[in-house]
Amino acid sequence: MIRVLDFLESLRATLWPRAARRFEAAAFLLPALLLVGVLVLGLAWMADASLRLLDTETFELSEHWTLANYRDLLENDTAWIVLGRSVLGAAVVTAVTLALAFPYAWVMVRTGSAWLRKLLLVSLFLPFFIGQVVRAYGWLIVLGKEGLVNQLLGALGMGPFKMIYTYGSVLFGLVQYMLPFAVLLIAPAVTAIDEEVELASETLGAPWWRTFLEVTLPLARPGLVAAAMVVFTLALTDYAMPVILGGGTNDFVANMVYDAFFRTSDSGMGSAVAIALVAAATLLAGVLLTWLGAGTLGFRGEAKR
Amino acid sequence: MKHDDTFESRRRALLQAAGAAAVLLPFSRAGLAAEPAKPKELIVRVWGGEWKDAIDGGVSKGFTKATGIAIKYDETEDNELQPKLWAAVKQKRRPPVAVNWDTTTNATKSALKNMGEDLGDLTNLKGLLPVAKPLGFDGWPLVNVYSYVYVLAYRTEAFPGGAPKSWSVLLDPKFKGRIALYNDGIGFHPAAQVAGGGKVEDIPKNMKACWDFIAKLKAQKPLLGEDPDFTNWFQKGEIDLACTIVTNARGAKKNGVKVAWTIPQEGAKVDTDALWIPKGLPANEVYWAKQYVNYALTAEAQQGWCDGLGLPGVNPNIKPPADMVGDPAYPTKPEDFAKLLRVPNKIQVENEKEWFGKFKKIMQS
Amino acid sequence: MNGRRARDVVLWSVVAVNLVALAAPTLIILGASFTAGNIITFPPDGFSFKWYEKVFASETLRDAFWRSLQASLVCTAASIPAGTLAALALARRRPRFPRTLQLYLLLPFTVPLIGSGMGLMMLFGELGILGQVWPVGLACCIINLPFMIWAVQASVNALDPDLENAAATCGAAPTHAFFTITLPAVTPGIITGALLMFVLAFNEFLVSLLLTDANTVTLPVSIYNSIRNVITPDLAAVSVVYILVAGLAIALLDRMVGLEIFLKSKQS
Repeated sequence: MIRVLDFLESLRATLWPRAARRFEAAAFLLPALLLVGVLVLGLAWMADASLRLLDTETFELSEHWTLANYRDLLENDTAWIVLGRSVLGAAVVTAVTLALAFPYAWVMVRTGSAWLRKLLLVSLFLPFFIGQVVRAYGWLIVLGKEGLVNQLLGALGMGPFKMIYTYGSVLFGLVQYMLPFAVLLIAPAVTAIDEEVELASETLGAPWWRTFLEVTLPLARPGLVAAAMVVFTLALTDYAMPVILGGGTNDFVANMVYDAFFRTSDSGMGSAVAIALVAAATLLAGVLLTWLGAGTLGFRGEAKR
Repeated sequence: MKHDDTFESRRRALLQAAGAAAVLLPFSRAGLAAEPAKPKELIVRVWGGEWKDAIDGGVSKGFTKATGIAIKYDETEDNELQPKLWAAVKQKRRPPVAVNWDTTTNATKSALKNMGEDLGDLTNLKGLLPVAKPLGFDGWPLVNVYSYVYVLAYRTEAFPGGAPKSWSVLLDPKFKGRIALYNDGIGFHPAAQVAGGGKVEDIPKNMKACWDFIAKLKAQKPLLGEDPDFTNWFQKGEIDLACTIVTNARGAKKNGVKVAWTIPQEGAKVDTDALWIPKGLPANEVYWAKQYVNYALTAEAQQGWCDGLGLPGVNPNIKPPADMVGDPAYPTKPEDFAKLLRVPNKIQVENEKEWFGKFKKIMQS
Repeated sequence: MNGRRARDVVLWSVVAVNLVALAAPTLIILGASFTAGNIITFPPDGFSFKWYEKVFASETLRDAFWRSLQASLVCTAASIPAGTLAALALARRRPRFPRTLQLYLLLPFTVPLIGSGMGLMMLFGELGILGQVWPVGLACCIINLPFMIWAVQASVNALDPDLENAAATCGAAPTHAFFTITLPAVTPGIITGALLMFVLAFNEFLVSLLLTDANTVTLPVSIYNSIRNVITPDLAAVSVVYILVAGLAIALLDRMVGLEIFLKSKQS
């Protein structure tokens, strides 16, 4: 083992002298930057297509560039409604998911029972394996007008309630989908909190909820910020949930992208909507990052002031 | 290579059989000697479920038996395959499928882009119903293979007194939240136009009646979905009424869902599906893909295929399956045909984007 | 102690809600897979193994399963070094323009998947690499890379910088320090991230749909396509088989490394 390390070290010393250390950050980042760069090349193709208008007599995009797609988009009331619905939805989903995921992560980390910890961990991965679309049919059986919940309520003399194919059910589906991600990102942050800090707060007579809100939560901030960023951006750009739980009348922006590319064969408009969504999502993510403090997101040096 | 030998002899034996010989009339005059090399398999795009079973049993099995060429299916949705196909042809890559089973609307778009091989030399085009020929093109960039009707399907338990008479049943407050349409509105425009008091001939110039009707429908809180959704919604008691293709309603009924269908007094939209062959395939595959399409147009193949679908094919020599006899959704009588609303595919293609935008505007607000 | 009990009641209620929400659709699908009818329904319509027989007899599904496995392995193999190094750089090496970098590395999440799929299809098509399985894996790696980066970053934050510094002061060669101190400390993050990447790649259908054809179709794409026309119980059976395989893998992982590793980021 040591010999291998020595070999690697000499390899490094030759290829990467100490003088080059100040480029180390760049070198470490390079593979990830290149991978995302592949996506950026795809974006460049879309940027180009977004500047071309579809001719519905030939189904070709125009030879020349024009801003017509963007102008149409700005003047399209439906697009604004859909954007508003997506942003509001993503915000609500983020808040609810974090509120549900944090206690879960805390219990999972703090519980004294290894068996319980495993159960909680494995449960997180369960829903992945039935896939999003099949999962939706599961929800229809549970939440439908003649579903299990309504049958139960009916037996108690209530309902039936419309619980599926609404905006609410889309958000519910998104929360359920995002929970595992959020828990997995929050858990390491909770692990990093010294349990004695919490105990000290309790010994000093603080009620449990104050300890939780004022000691645990702030200390788990890096995990919460990471989870918030992930959940917000993924929810904002989601395609599948509005389709399978929205009943067709609760589209998000990504559904407009799909419709343009696949239903009306208009890759120009599809690209324009996609680019606009990237811009909006990046802007909102930037605001969120600034608001929550980039310093907590891995930039430990800065976080320490 | 033994396989090839036995295989070759089996094929020859088959070709001597009268039926198979008629199936594979070569279009090159040189005959069998000049027959191009056979690919091991051809990829055909299909819709899944009943649709795939129908083409597999009706067309592919017979083709494979006669030629030895295996058929592999690509089940990508037609809308989703389209950009993949277009990109492949544009980038001069081999297209992902050899034969595309497509809606005529989508096939027409591809034909406008000059994506398809001309099928004009297929021997079995002669004697087909006029609807087989695509309109607005000199040659045959696609061939229509059967017609289908967008019927009004209903849950029988909700209609103890028999089938609803008019599309305006969709506006009955009793069915608020219990009706469904396709999520892009396709198949519904002509019916809405007539039910709203307009004329189908006025499409696309004056469609106020259609949009007013759809706007009223929006207040009824419809569910918008696709084929499998309708089946599930009927089965789980979510909806009582849906505008859907008869094949799907028939499939649901066969699987025990309590559903029936009708063509209301205003009539119902009729449309066609097509087969076409994308450009960019090796020459021998083009040849055998054409043979596949040619075979699909024979009475024998059409009978098997269309029995599975419950739809009238373009070959006039086929008979309706037993359960569709007398069903107006499988039109045979003049009064059946009178109730079919047709919008030329060219008009559909040119106006699709605008209609789609209007439909979304109503449904998403 | 009363406070404690109140806390436990509140927290456990939330956990219970989560557990029900996470497990409900899975349990329903599990039950529905044993139906004797032709449509997914619950309670199942009779009892039979016929849909399992259909799944195991299907060569298409089996091929698709192996291709998915390949794509997921490519995805995981590519994302481990890329994500780990990027996370370490972001957390420790103080790159310039950190916020811009974060937003750039977040692009895979801010670009809608259909957009990513179309862009990658055009690009891969131009490069002539479509029609193989590895580009699907690469695409899955790209679109989910932020998960890997953040999973590792979360554990970097728990790594005591003094330890690394101490090693450096004591004259340990950088490579030694990296492999003996830094990497072991972030291993839980790497495992969490790698597992997520693998599972997500194994379930990805939107981007993969655009990058595969009939000869390279992966399992989730195959399932997605067949769902478009009729949803038959064999898909429920596939899901159950899938859960069993995953359960086996998790049990194996637990036996070998111990699942606890996910939640311990402090010890080395």
